[in-house]
Parts: sequence; structure tokens; C-alpha cells
Amino acid sequence: MRAIVFLIGITACAAEPWVPQSGRPPELLSEMNLISYQDGELTYPDEMIHYTLGTPLFSDYTDKDRAIYLPEGAQMAFDDYDTFDLPVGSAVIKTFLMPADLRDPEQGRQIIETRLMIHSTTGWQNWPYVWDEEGRDARLRVQGGTQRLSFIDRQGESHAFTYLVPQRNQCQECHELKGDDGRNFIALIGPRSRNLDLVHPQGDHQLEAMHSLGLLDHLPQASERPRPAIDWEAFIAEGLEGRPYEEIEIAARDYLDVNCAHCHNPRGVSGISSQLFLNWDNTDEFRLGKCKRPGSAGHGSGGLTYDIVPGDHTQSILHFRVATTDPGAMMPQLGRTLAHTEAADLIAAWIDGMEPVDCR
Amino acid sequence: MRQLLSLSLPAGLLIACGGAPEGFENIHCGEVEYGNCIEVGLDADLIEVVNGLTDDTAVILPRGNFEFDNQVTIRGANNIALYGQGMNETRLDFAPTEVQANGVDVVSDDFLIEGLEIIDAVTDGLRIEDSTGVTIRRVRTTWRAEASPENGAYGIYPVKVRQVLIEDSEAFNASDAGIYVGQCIEAVVRNNVARTNVAGLEIENTQYADVYGNVVEDNTGGLVVFDLPGNPIVGRDVYVHDNIVRNNNRPNFAPGGIVGQIPSGTGTFAMASRRVEITNNTYANNNTVDLAVISGLAVQSTASNWAIESDQIIGDIDGLQLDEGEGGAVLNYRSSEVYIHGNSHSGSGTRPDNSSVSDRPLGFLIAVAYAGPDPVDTVLYDTISESAFDREDPAGNSNDNHICVAADEGVTFSSLNLPELAEATVPNKNMTYRPEPPFTPFDCDGFREGPIVRPTFAD
Repeated sequence: MRAIVFLIGITACAAEPWVPQSGRPPELLSEMNLISYQDGELTYPDEMIHYTLGTPLFSDYTDKDRAIYLPEGAQMAFDDYDTFDLPVGSAVIKTFLMPADLRDPEQGRQIIETRLMIHSTTGWQNWPYVWDEEGRDARLRVQGGTQRLSFIDRQGESHAFTYLVPQRNQCQECHELKGDDGRNFIALIGPRSRNLDLVHPQGDHQLEAMHSLGLLDHLPQASERPRPAIDWEAFIAEGLEGRPYEEIEIAARDYLDVNCAHCHNPRGVSGISSQLFLNWDNTDEFRLGKCKRPGSAGHGSGGLTYDIVPGDHTQSILHFRVATTDPGAMMPQLGRTLAHTEAADLIAAWIDGMEPVDCR
Repeated sequence: MRQLLSLSLPAGLLIACGGAPEGFENIHCGEVEYGNCIEVGLDADLIEVVNGLTDDTAVILPRGNFEFDNQVTIRGANNIALYGQGMNETRLDFAPTEVQANGVDVVSDDFLIEGLEIIDAVTDGLRIEDSTGVTIRRVRTTWRAEASPENGAYGIYPVKVRQVLIEDSEAFNASDAGIYVGQCIEAVVRNNVARTNVAGLEIENTQYADVYGNVVEDNTGGLVVFDLPGNPIVGRDVYVHDNIVRNNNRPNFAPGGIVGQIPSGTGTFAMASRRVEITNNTYANNNTVDLAVISGLAVQSTASNWAIESDQIIGDIDGLQLDEGEGGAVLNYRSSEVYIHGNSHSGSGTRPDNSSVSDRPLGFLIAVAYAGPDPVDTVLYDTISESAFDREDPAGNSNDNHICVAADEGVTFSSLNLPELAEATVPNKNMTYRPEPPFTPFDCDGFREGPIVRPTFAD
């Protein structure tokens, strides 16, 4: 009996969850007993760790639900910077659901896809599963695919758009890092100390609960841990109006860290060539984008010259690429078709609050 | 054990005794030396196939058109070949793609792509990143709309690749560069055609490049060599020879970016580059200028932004005599050791691009300075970071950067002293140093640290 603290309700799965340690996993997601979906709700077996993140990656306003599977008796190794180290045989599972109406959860939601990352004997492997229209089961589709989806946003406006389920090989565009030995490897992105360091909306403080249940090898005191990422939903609910600039700055850096720095960090295989590093702890202002001309942004520059023109978001490519929906220009390159307007407003406020500089 | 898979082809079409199945007449699995080979029928899902690849596999496409709503992504397997039946036979059409995606997107060592066309990719046509040992042969990248700013950025785009060969390929209609070799170490780019792009062929932050036999025409700018600031690879040893660079007079249609600053009518420039030899090329009818040597400070004037920390450096900087920044960082803004000789020139510099003083200040400045009946000199040097300049006296000019320009037939040269020229109320070419042959002190031969080093992997 393990991480039930994070779960609401009673779990339904009697069968033991499992994942293969090598090779292609089963064609049907249900065969691994990791997750079940009924009446619009996801449930996990007791053995699994249901968790949430303080600042999530924006994914076209979908709801995302996450859980970790650890082999019997296994532990995660705490890390104060990188994602936790999960032993071979572990899995991380993330499911995407599109709410019908962001203003009203009662309107239900459509289950779309579940991404399964398995720590196999040859490293982490990504496997995309696509749910059938009735939400009965999900089938492995290495080729991914596109779907037309629609929803009503918080302002009551309807949107219809093309949603991309990434093909298996596209997963690596975000999940690939360069190791100290120069070799590339697949890595987790989400489960890091600073983004798990919060009270789960339906349970306990996540890190403390994981530790007390013996699922984390150790846990430093809160004062010894890196600063927790902001609680994005709470931050946005309060709005930007009247906030001190320090809070804007922290929120903007946290947002960029989660939404951009999986590539735009000095080890990100897809981001190194840009030399634009948006990880929260980067202190190199030029490589943060200030007065920096992009390497090869092409279309993505939006006719602008510098990544960030301090004091003027309208002249800053960074803001343009976060705000635009032009498929040849927008960032991140994967996982977004719609504009994340709340984030674009935050980035604008962050840039506008910087000490103005004439980049020329 | 060799595995032969034929996907979605009726068995009756497989011809025994080594013959080619229908649609695979130019190449089929019987002709390639890979451990595994997959012939992919027109009704099969190529994206599904490439997401299940194992090492040492050839994927062969038949004659015909494939349409995609997402990119073809190759990862996690090495020694992969993707063959079509030819640039005019097999087409990968990305026009139906509505999400952000490239055409063919690859990270894979020992990768070969040959004999196909990639059309209407949303971003880049063929992007190959962070790989070693890449061959691109008889591949065309293009977009249906001619020279449109709506087109994708790059056509053929290897970046951070060691040992890349691009040959017998074609790149058309890219809104940035047709062929863009970026941050590569050892590149051979030969016998390609780049046409109707903003930049035809670019060599960026690249070491040991041999660029020859290419036809680069009807772009905004032709064949260019440069470093961008803050990049861990310092460009060096770029050998540009026996190319045709002509009629690069397309109005600049870039939607923005550095490439948007290239004046229409530019043949070649070397910017923030060193150990570049430009020889035996044919330059003709480039309306602004055939050749220009430019400092990186002309586009990024803050020298400290060119700093590369010594522990970040990738590749070989021995013998480059780079400037030093704070804390032992190197600075690569300077253009030095550029050797220009034995090229032919005709009909260029007659109508420099004066279309935008804000977007293309260099073109505008040249247009104003060279107002009048005489064409722009065939070789221009911005004179940035020189210790001495005199518009009349050869002895009053330094050549600290060791820029060597041979006084071949048809070559005229000007050292612009750009910072002062740009400040002049009415810039005029008479403010520049325009020596008679032999262009003293720019009449040197070769490089101070020995001849150019060319890659030999593709010999």
C-alpha cells in the first residue's frame, strides 16, 4: 500500500501494474494495468504515484494527468537540480484530456492520448498511445498523428484546431540531452525537486509524502532545497495587475524554464545551436537573449532583430515566438498549436519591466 | 541474417531473380548493402516505418508522391539510408502539414539520403542535426510558391554535423538559405544548384569546408561565409573554388532575421571569418557587389557579445590568433586571413540595392557611395579593426587582418573604412582607399599559418 495519499476515491484495478524492461510494449495500454479511464476520471493502481507540477508545460489547454510507476521496493533518487533518478523498470505516464469548456468542468472532457516513458535496460524509451473515441482503451501508435479538437476558452470563445500527437521519434526533440561524454541520451523532464515541491491539490505535500513512504532515497530540509517553481494556476488566477516586478520576473523565468529550457539549455540537443539558454538558473544575460541576435531563426524572428530588447516586448523575438500561432515561427516547436495568451502577457510584462537598453 | 521487408506491395509485384518491383526501377532492396532493407509502398505510412527503425537499415521509396501531415523524423538508429527513385521521381509533399514541423528531420550517424524531392515543408526541408557521417545526394528541397516569404526557412540544413557531404542536389525558394551548412566540422559541398532563395549557399561557424562546382544564381545573396556571435565553433579553413555565382539580384524576401540584411545583388561575403580562400570562381551580374570582406562588428557591434569561453570551444582553434576577451574567452568577430585570387568578374556592381536604409544599411551605403556611372568595385573590405587607414597613401594603410586580394584582370578593390564612411554626411567612394594594382598592402599571398586545410573524407 503506497502512494494512495495522492489519490481520490478507491482504485479499481485489481491486476498488478507492470512495464516491459526492453522492446516494444503491448499494443493496448490496458494490458499493463497502469491506468484506467471511466466516467471521465483517470484512476491508477495503489502502487503508483499520482503527482502534479507547480508550473506545467502548456499543451493547448489540455488537462494533463501524471503518475510514476516504480518496481516493487524501488526508490527514486533525489536530485536538487536534475530530474529524479528512477531505476530501470520504472515508468512515467502522462495523459492528455481536452475539456469541452474551460469555464465549466461539468461539461466533461475528451481523452486523447497517453504518453508512456519506460526506463528500459537501454535507457528511457518513449511510447505514444492514442485513445479510441469512446475512451475505452488506447493503442500504441509510434507514428503519432493529428486530430481536430475543439473547446471553449475561459472567455467563452470557441476554438477548433489541429492537435498533434507526436510520433515516437519526435519525443526526443524535447527529451534528449547531451551527456558529459558527448553522447546523447533520453531524459525525463517533469519530475524535478523544484517543480514537485508543493502540496498536491488532493493530498499531502508531494515531496514529503514520497519521502515518508520510502519512495525517495532522501529529502533535504525545505531550506536546503532549490526554490520551488511557482504555482502557475494560482499565479494566473490572481493576474499580473499590481504585482511587484520581482514576482513577474520569477514567474517568467519559471515559465520559460518549464516551457523552453528542455531544449534551450546548455545540454539540450535541440537547443544548443541557438545558444539561447532559458533555464531558470542561467545568469548569462546575453545567452538569456538580451540584445542577442538569433542564430538561425529564419521565419521565427517575425521581422525583429533581437531575442530580447530590454524594456520593449514589441521588439523582442522571444515574445513574438511565444505569442504567435504561425506554424513556421512559434515556440515551443512541439506541443503547441494555440496561443498561450496568459504566458505571452507575462513575458511581455517581464521584458517591459527590464532596464531599457539600446541594443544597437 | 538479412531481412527483406516489403510493405503494402501486392506480392505479385515482387519480381523474382533480382528484378525490380514496379516503381522501384531505379533502386530497390536487391541493390543496396544494408543489413535490413524496407521497400515502402505508396499506400504505406512512411512515418510509421521510420519510427520503428533499427541500425543498419535502408528504406527505399518508389516512384510517386507521398503526402504528410507531420514531419518524417529519424532518431535512435544509426547507419540508415533513405532512398527515392530520383529528384524527379519520388516526392515527399508536406503541403498538408498544419503543425510546426520540418520535412525530413534527422539525428543519426552514418545517414544517407538520396534521390528524392522534399516540397512545402513548414519550417526546414531537410534538417540533419548533431550527427556524424552524413551524405545528401541528389536531393531537391523546394516550395511551390516561388521566392515567397511564407516559405520555410532552410532547404538543405545540416547543423552540428561532422563529415557532411552535399552533392548533386538542388535547393530552391527557401525564405532563408537554400543550402545552409551550420556549425559543422568537415563539410564537402559540391556540384549543387541553389536558386531563388534569399541566401543561396551559406557556410556558418564551420571548420574545414570544401565548397566547389556549385551554381548559385538568382538568389538575393549568393554564396556566403560567416560566423555568428556566441557560437562554440569558430569557423576556419573554408575553401570556395570553381563555383558560378551569378545574377543574385532577387529582391530580399526574407521575413526577417540576419539574412534580411543581405543586400540584393550580393555575390559573396565573408563575415567574421578566417582562413577563407576564394579562388577560380566565376562572378557575373551581381548588381551590388561580387565580393565583400566584413567584420562581425558590422552586424553585432558589441565585441563582448562575441566572447566564447575557452571551456565551451568545440573544434580546433590552433593558429587562429583570435582576440582575447575577459577571463580568457576568445572573440571571433574579426575577419582575417581571407585570400581572394583567380576569380573572373563581369557585369556586376551596376545597380546596388538601395531599397532599405534600415533593413539593409550596407547596400544603401554602397549605393550612395558609388552613385554615378562606374560600377561598384569587385572586392570590398570594410577596414574594421585595422590600425591605420589613408585614402591615398598605400604606406598609410595597415593590413593587420591579412586580407589578400590578387590584382587579377577585371578586379578592382576598395578598402571602405566603413565606420567613417557610414558617418559621412554624403558618403562617397572617394573617401575610401581604392588602390591601383597590386593593391598594396593587400597584395599578400595565402595565409600566415600555412595553406588551407581541406577535408579529405569524401575524396
